[in-house]
Amino acid sequence: MSEAELVLVEEAKNCTLYTIQFLSEDDTEFEQFFNKFKDDVEFSPDLMRIVVFLGKIADFGALERYFRPEGKMSDRVVALPTVQSKLRLYCLRLSDKILILGNGGVKNTKTYEESKELSGYVLTLQNFDRLIKEGVKDGTIMVSENKIETDKTFDL
Amino acid sequence: MKTMKTPFKQMLAAVPADIQQEVDLEYAISNRINDLMVQRGLTKLEFAQALGKRPSEVTKWLSGQHNFTIRTLSAISAFFGESLVRVC
Repeated sequence: MSEAELVLVEEAKNCTLYTIQFLSEDDTEFEQFFNKFKDDVEFSPDLMRIVVFLGKIADFGALERYFRPEGKMSDRVVALPTVQSKLRLYCLRLSDKILILGNGGVKNTKTYEESKELSGYVLTLQNFDRLIKEGVKDGTIMVSENKIETDKTFDL
Repeated sequence: MKTMKTPFKQMLAAVPADIQQEVDLEYAISNRINDLMVQRGLTKLEFAQALGKRPSEVTKWLSGQHNFTIRTLSAISAFFGESLVRVC
């Protein structure tokens, strides 16, 4: 089990973006994803498309139609992009106005479950989703229309 | 709460201009199609059937990330009787 905290990525008019920071790591989950592919000849263009699209989401909202549903029906895990690309960024879409960015990678298998790396990223978000729901219930996390308020560390 | 040490705006600034333009267009076209569907009261299924497409194709169009062909844009524009893209 590792300790993690929520980190603010971008606060804009219609959506607030967050990511997850494991206390044992130097970079957040989203920075790790970005740094992994920013200089990759094959995947850098797809990464850049995702970054621009996240900017659109921040400005105009994380509408359901922009995402590929992933994970299970009981969680809020989604992926970008929805179009032809092997690159996947996994996120937790709490609402149109709150999106938590996770890590991601290249999907070379038919399902993410067949990849140890990708299923690990999805599992992190599924666990985080469960802990947020528990925190909201016990009052240690406040989720407003477009913000999550907590100083809590999470055991993931 | 901490803020990510790599500013998001710095990540955005690293994006080449052509990719920025591409995403801007895809996003704008997708929202225009969605607005027209809402205006006409069309469901995804009705819209897909009217154009002889599968609903999954319309899902792609509405994702904001679809690389539209001129042929597809023309078919959608003809259906709505309005142009989706204006060339100056």
